[in-house]
Amino acid sequence: MITITNLVRTYQTGDNEVRALRNIDLAIATGEFAAIAGPSGSGKTTLLNLIGCIDEPDEGTIEINGSVVHAGKAKERALFRRENLGFVFQSFNLVPVLTAEENIALSLSLLDMPAAERRERLRAIIDEVGLTGMEDRRPARLSGGQQQRVAVARALVKDPKLVLADEPTANLDSETGAAILDLMHELNQSHKTTFVFSTHDPMVMDRADRLITLRDGRIVDDDLRRRAS
Amino acid sequence: MNARAGVALAWKNLFRHGRRTIITASALAFGLLVYIMADSMLRGIEVDTERNLILYETGAAQVLAEGYLEERDLRPLRYAIETPEEIESALEESGIKAVARTTFSGELIVFQDPFPEDGSVQVTGYGIDPSDDGDVYRLEETITKGRFLEPGEDGAVLGGWLAEDIGADVGYPITIVTRTRGGFFQTLELDVVGIADTPNPIINRYAVFVPIDTADFYLQMEGAVTEIAVAGKLRGVDRALTAQMEQELASFPGVDVVGWDRLAMDYVAIAQTKNSGSSTILFFVFVIAAVGVSNTVLMSILERRREIGMMRAMGLYDGEIRRLLLLEAAGIGVIGAGIGIALGAVTNYFLVTNGIDYSFWLRDMDAGYRITGVLRGVWNGDTFASAFAAGVIITVITAMMPVRRALRTTIVESLRTD
Repeated sequence: MITITNLVRTYQTGDNEVRALRNIDLAIATGEFAAIAGPSGSGKTTLLNLIGCIDEPDEGTIEINGSVVHAGKAKERALFRRENLGFVFQSFNLVPVLTAEENIALSLSLLDMPAAERRERLRAIIDEVGLTGMEDRRPARLSGGQQQRVAVARALVKDPKLVLADEPTANLDSETGAAILDLMHELNQSHKTTFVFSTHDPMVMDRADRLITLRDGRIVDDDLRRRAS
Repeated sequence: MNARAGVALAWKNLFRHGRRTIITASALAFGLLVYIMADSMLRGIEVDTERNLILYETGAAQVLAEGYLEERDLRPLRYAIETPEEIESALEESGIKAVARTTFSGELIVFQDPFPEDGSVQVTGYGIDPSDDGDVYRLEETITKGRFLEPGEDGAVLGGWLAEDIGADVGYPITIVTRTRGGFFQTLELDVVGIADTPNPIINRYAVFVPIDTADFYLQMEGAVTEIAVAGKLRGVDRALTAQMEQELASFPGVDVVGWDRLAMDYVAIAQTKNSGSSTILFFVFVIAAVGVSNTVLMSILERRREIGMMRAMGLYDGEIRRLLLLEAAGIGVIGAGIGIALGAVTNYFLVTNGIDYSFWLRDMDAGYRITGVLRGVWNGDTFASAFAAGVIITVITAMMPVRRALRTTIVESLRTD
């Protein structure tokens, strides 16, 4: 599903050049539940941003389902994101003036979809992520775990091919974080959606089917054993 | 993003910081309120001035002898209409009410006993036809003391302020020194028969009215008059009327038809200045609104950089986000303009019904406007509509720059914002 070839991304910070990613080659298959791990500054978020078409590489290519995703114009990339990708952020990034249901529906409002189908999808995903009864609450009245559930639902409701999650448990306590990971895994299984997430939390790494480890912008380990098991 | 969701989100964002939105909207509302009030009063002054010019000073238009208009300030009697009756008949046959007058300048001289002191003052004399003058002018209705003129008498009606300035009362004798049509000095010995308090300050301050046949005798006009004034509409220049008059009088050589605006150039100049004054007010409204809205939108965007980054990551086009943010700005504009015109309507109701009494300083001021006391506003739907539209448009235009700035930031930078 995702084929990354010789990916290079360099940042300029003042007079210094930071090589965030160095010649990354990687393939992720459809339906994988893969974690990208590594210490701070290893390039995890940069790699996710590039896969998510919100950043552009200096060299190399990223293909998703056979298309080079960063080749098009900004509007084409935006269209690709709205139709194919879901994002889950470390700090949830919910819209505070919208209720839980409205936040989830925001994702669907970008798609041309009959109102009945939209309502049906909303009802189903709210049920799946365990937010029934909390639909009308605004983010301020939800716990961190509940807010991340809303964010996961918002990413999944449009049935994307790929969900990218940047440190999805970093702002949660370990118990809540584990619950969110379990939820994401269940959804990965039930929706057959590919999940790629970054983390430096051992608990999260343990729950991943595949663990890709980055250090100084390079892949230093790619543990496929869990997927095999 | 579908339009309904966009509008709903913009509406909710408007009240994310409700107090801030209301404060910004209030600044806009205050600016528009000032604009509406100022426009109402200035238009009210225009309406009153034009009415008071037409009813007490110039008529809607005048027929003048060729050459008179250029030297009108000197009141030259040598440019006179020799056959006023024929012209009046021609006009009245076509349904235009017309009346002849002879205007002259002179020096009014008074002596102690009965006047409080000796002195003289420059005045403008008007020879008027007591029986027909009311067809065009409203002088007779403004007599507050004594009576109106009678044909052929050596009597005078004085403007109210003039009478007050020289200490005149009904029955007092006055002397006006002037020149005849032939250029000889002439003295008119008259008795004050009435005092007129008109709403026109020029008439109140400088006018002495005498019967036209009395003026004809003393000024040796031999039946000629300096002008024939006609009645017409009381607002704006009646171009149809002047065109009709020119047509009717085509067979009368040596006469010009002029609208009241050309007889009151001092006022027309002031009115044009007023228009630029209104533009200045509108400019300040723009500045107030621009600063307030720009600040609010900028703060709103800075606070929501990560949220905007999230929406762009989700796949919203920049154009959709721009529309969303501009819709919010327009919302502030609608609220501010709505409050502004509502307050404007309430204030204007007071201005129209009660007005503001400026008589204490209008008496000492010669600003070109023909008003003497209470200034009243007028209702003008265009002003309210333009104030509303300007309020909304200003806020949207002002918001464009911070919105553009927000969209120049990359998605990655936006998401990285703490």
